[in-house]
Amino acid sequence: MRLSQYFSLIDVQARMLLKADSSKFILGSLWWFLEPLLWVGVFYVVFNLILDSHRGGDFVVFLACGKFAFIWFSKTVNQASNSIVANRSLVSKINVPKTIFPMAAVQESLYRQAAVYLLLFFILVVFGHPITLTWLWLIPVWLVYYLIIVACSFIGAYLVCMVRDFSKFIPLGMTFLLFTSGIFWDIRDIGNPQKTELLLALNPIAFMVDAHRQILMKATPPDAMHLVLLGVGATVLIIVMVGLMRKKSQYLALKVLSS
Amino acid sequence: MSVFNDSVMLVMEDVSLSYAASKGSFDHGVHHVLNSMSFELFENETLGIIGRNGVGKTTMLRIMAGILAPTSGTVMTQPGKTSSLLSIGLGFKGDLSGRDNATLAAMLQGSSKKQADLFLDEIKEFSDLGESFEEPVKTYSAGMKSRLGFTTALMTHVDILLIDEVLSVGDAQFKEKAESAMKKRIGGDQTVVFVSHSATQIQELCDRAIWIDGGIIKSIGDTEVVLEHYRNSMKVEGSPQPKIQT
Repeated sequence: MRLSQYFSLIDVQARMLLKADSSKFILGSLWWFLEPLLWVGVFYVVFNLILDSHRGGDFVVFLACGKFAFIWFSKTVNQASNSIVANRSLVSKINVPKTIFPMAAVQESLYRQAAVYLLLFFILVVFGHPITLTWLWLIPVWLVYYLIIVACSFIGAYLVCMVRDFSKFIPLGMTFLLFTSGIFWDIRDIGNPQKTELLLALNPIAFMVDAHRQILMKATPPDAMHLVLLGVGATVLIIVMVGLMRKKSQYLALKVLSS
Repeated sequence: MSVFNDSVMLVMEDVSLSYAASKGSFDHGVHHVLNSMSFELFENETLGIIGRNGVGKTTMLRIMAGILAPTSGTVMTQPGKTSSLLSIGLGFKGDLSGRDNATLAAMLQGSSKKQADLFLDEIKEFSDLGESFEEPVKTYSAGMKSRLGFTTALMTHVDILLIDEVLSVGDAQFKEKAESAMKKRIGGDQTVVFVSHSATQIQELCDRAIWIDGGIIKSIGDTEVVLEHYRNSMKVEGSPQPKIQT
């Protein structure tokens, strides 16, 4: 398959998924904005009103930055992991590169996430955060984050295809990451700088969430070296996974068909 | 490659396929689907594959289409030739309209978005779906799905056409239309492998036939002879007679 054909297939599939998804709900594509907002609402009620942290408006921005960034990763990897198995009927009828299915899911969420970021910028402006040049740092952050998401999507899709039982671990893993990435608490508030460093080093999602907050709320650029290393790591993983999925393409099909 | 003289399109040599069944106890958990199959497919011929349900017919097509790889043995296609497996309802996504599904199917079989768009009116026309073409496929009846599936399949252009039971569904009127379109396609310069459990269809359409049972080739060659063997086996075994229309 030519590369142009590959990408146009991903794009067409992603657009169709979006169209199909929004046609299912009365509120349609409004859900793109509503869902992340409701999440922020839930966290605000639990952590600010019930647990009394009294942080007011700033806490809303803090939550929005964290959750909106996290939702990109969690939604995509969740959906992409089941994508090959979910496309069983196609997999049984045509020999296409298996990476097409997770990539279509990645592309679909990319479009959704664009709307989510617009909403995030809106919230930031409404709560009085100035738009600064530092915001341009978002571009490399997004790029690296995207590579991490693609790598994890491939790994998830591959594992679920090989051993269906992995699909049980993915929501669990997402919840674990939600708690350990500092979505509703600040990773810099731990009190032990070494622990903070360790968490940021071990958990790329925590680093990404923190980078969003540093850039948007504090006008501070992220650690460029850390960003480069993550980018390189993710790229290597992507190359390995593409090679593996290409080599095992027919075995993956057999796995999908026989389990 | 030396095995290919001009007229050979595809060679299967000693092909076997088995896999570890998820749960069950076939042969210590190993399920054998195909066992040491060898045959050649020639250019422009229509080869019929006949056999009861679950003997490995579809698996054979999937191996020829490159969807599955054999556990052992080799499959060689003449370099540069494409093959595609056509079966009813090429992986339809229920939430998408007939139009979107047809676009996707055409693109997956190698068309560009532009080429796919060109097919669409033709597909809409031939399938007689009318306004339903714009509705989600999940609202379709089984007959409508098969009409869309057949038409989408018919529009694709490949060197080796692998057909899996496509003529067995649809209402009488569409079936007639479909059969005549299929015959026209098969009659031209097209290499076709045609799977069916209807002896009549194989007899009408195929130059040569293969009868498989239990994952092995029982008989291969002239259609009449192979069908004779197939029918005789049914009588001898005394297994429930399939409906053979003659």
